[in-house]
Amino acid sequence: MCAALARALVVDDERMNREVIVANLRAAGFETVTAEDGLQAWEILDAHPGAFDVILLDRRMPRMDGMELLRKLKDDSRLDHIPVIMQTAYADPEDVTAGIKAGAYYYLAKPLDRRLLLSVTEAAIADHQRRQRLLDDLDKRTTAMLLLDSGTFRFRTLDEGHTLAVALARACPQARHLVAGLSELFTNAVEHGNLGIGYDEKAQLLENRRWRQEVEARLDTPQGRARLVEVEVTRQTERICFVIRDQGDGFDWRGFGQISPERAFAPHGRGIALARNLAFDHMEYNDIGNQVTAWIDMADTSADRGQAVCAIASSLKVDAPPLVSEEIQLARAMQLELLPPQKSLDDLLRRSGLLLSAHFETSSSLGGDLWGMQVVDQYRTGLWVADFSGHGLVAALNVFRLHALVAQCAPVADMPAAFLAELSRRLSELLPVGQYATMIYGVVDQSAGLFRYAAAAMPPPLLRRTDGRVEKGDGAGLPLGLSARVAYAERQMALSPGDLLFLSSDGLADNPDGDGNKLGNGGIKTLIEASGQEATANSVLAPFLARVARPLRDDLTAVCCRLP
Amino acid sequence: MKYRIVDEENGPTLVLSDQLLFDHRDLFDTAIDKLLARKQPKVAVDMAGLSYMDSAGLGMLLTLRDRADRANVTVTLRKPSPEVAELLDLACFDSLFTIERA
Repeated sequence: MCAALARALVVDDERMNREVIVANLRAAGFETVTAEDGLQAWEILDAHPGAFDVILLDRRMPRMDGMELLRKLKDDSRLDHIPVIMQTAYADPEDVTAGIKAGAYYYLAKPLDRRLLLSVTEAAIADHQRRQRLLDDLDKRTTAMLLLDSGTFRFRTLDEGHTLAVALARACPQARHLVAGLSELFTNAVEHGNLGIGYDEKAQLLENRRWRQEVEARLDTPQGRARLVEVEVTRQTERICFVIRDQGDGFDWRGFGQISPERAFAPHGRGIALARNLAFDHMEYNDIGNQVTAWIDMADTSADRGQAVCAIASSLKVDAPPLVSEEIQLARAMQLELLPPQKSLDDLLRRSGLLLSAHFETSSSLGGDLWGMQVVDQYRTGLWVADFSGHGLVAALNVFRLHALVAQCAPVADMPAAFLAELSRRLSELLPVGQYATMIYGVVDQSAGLFRYAAAAMPPPLLRRTDGRVEKGDGAGLPLGLSARVAYAERQMALSPGDLLFLSSDGLADNPDGDGNKLGNGGIKTLIEASGQEATANSVLAPFLARVARPLRDDLTAVCCRLP
Repeated sequence: MKYRIVDEENGPTLVLSDQLLFDHRDLFDTAIDKLLARKQPKVAVDMAGLSYMDSAGLGMLLTLRDRADRANVTVTLRKPSPEVAELLDLACFDSLFTIERA
């Protein structure tokens, strides 16, 4: 099986021990690399992080011991997923518990039992590959599960359980942990529950490498074909609850909730404890042990709720074109309606001579950008461009919020700094931590001949003079929504007849073209310098739009305002 | 994004490399968990190896700051590359974090 291609790093300070392990692993078809202590092992792993499938680690070594190396591995995203099998001659239960808590996969007691060494090593690799596969599947796109409020699912086989675990986890926060936990519980329900494979029996099967075969065989018996696992899911405000019920006779679950030092040496039986530790906030069995209830709390702080929303948004990936639902289409239409209609641009031109044009393009069906205009009076017109962090559904919902708040800030529409401060205050009450908006708001004041503006982390406003020179403003400022009390600076640029004012979101500088090159701030300046007297947003952007890679990586908004 | 945590004399440092993008939120959350689990009064983020960060990256730093604040932990950002520094400056992050320049 997979072991034929697998490579193990064997870390032990005693040469004899290394040789024994290497000889056994090689005989079983493993490639091996050795290290004499933790430090040497660390240097090898640091230089070749993708090279190993499993690490056999001695606990007591000079320079860097096994525990220290284990902690370093778990703190490094390149290495934290490689299973580590600790070996120790000192089976002190506290040591073992500490090792398991620090993320060791197994403990092997010295002197090594050859059969156990091989079966544990193979199991570690297979488990590791299964987890990686689960995580890969997690990244694939589906949407419907997100809409689930409550539901009941039934499955029979391990593969069906795997598919369901992935689908359910994707609709929840902390999906990466949850998928492992659900998968463990689903596997237990099939093999220990419905198929009646006992704990010791599984150990035996694993050791003889007949486990998978036995599961298949039992699934194919009349009883195996008739028995199903039922999963009930309920999503509440405070928690998402899973009830998993099998049709077996139950099992003695007491004692399986923690990884006990004794079982750290056994070849399996850590699934339940792993599930509890990693995935769930709470887990309980019914008395006979054929039903388990597990839940994750929707955290009590707004920060964690924010992460939950973000996690959902990323798994949603509403941009997948074949899956765009009617609701999303409707939401998209509503979002486009937030933009100023052509009629108000025509009115503006007639009333004040300002020729306003814009390009608005989203990276997914729904965008996190928005722009708008605000007539203050005959001579003063407010213009703004805003960009919410992230994209997709969450950013899009925030755009609707922003649109409503902008209308509420109309009383200070002629005071850009006050306008942003007020908007930031209102947004800070609504947005969870980690979400924010960037924005520029400015007033084209034709009576004073000034563009007076305030900015919150936006690309600088640009002004093209009639002679083709481009002047740059300043877009620096704290993003909106971070705290209730933020002051913004009012800045200004002098306007002359025929000038072209240009505002954009960072999508213009940051969206790469087909070759991966970005326009950057310099490129934007060149575009505008090259534009003619009759420029509109579309004509200015035309060379960029012809080259940019689609779908866009980030939403893109550009607004041009030409003075009479 | 890739990360590792290095325990230094004045507290644990989260060493980031590659790019920090919208897709790395889960990974970054895990890194914050590990960083704050050290229960040290000061933590740092070494950004020298970070070639690019998008606006979601700013959001992740804000999440780190918020969680650190609640645990009475101060966060220092270290050695941002010129591209990343430009974004931090645009967002006036020097008013939220101590930033040690390269």
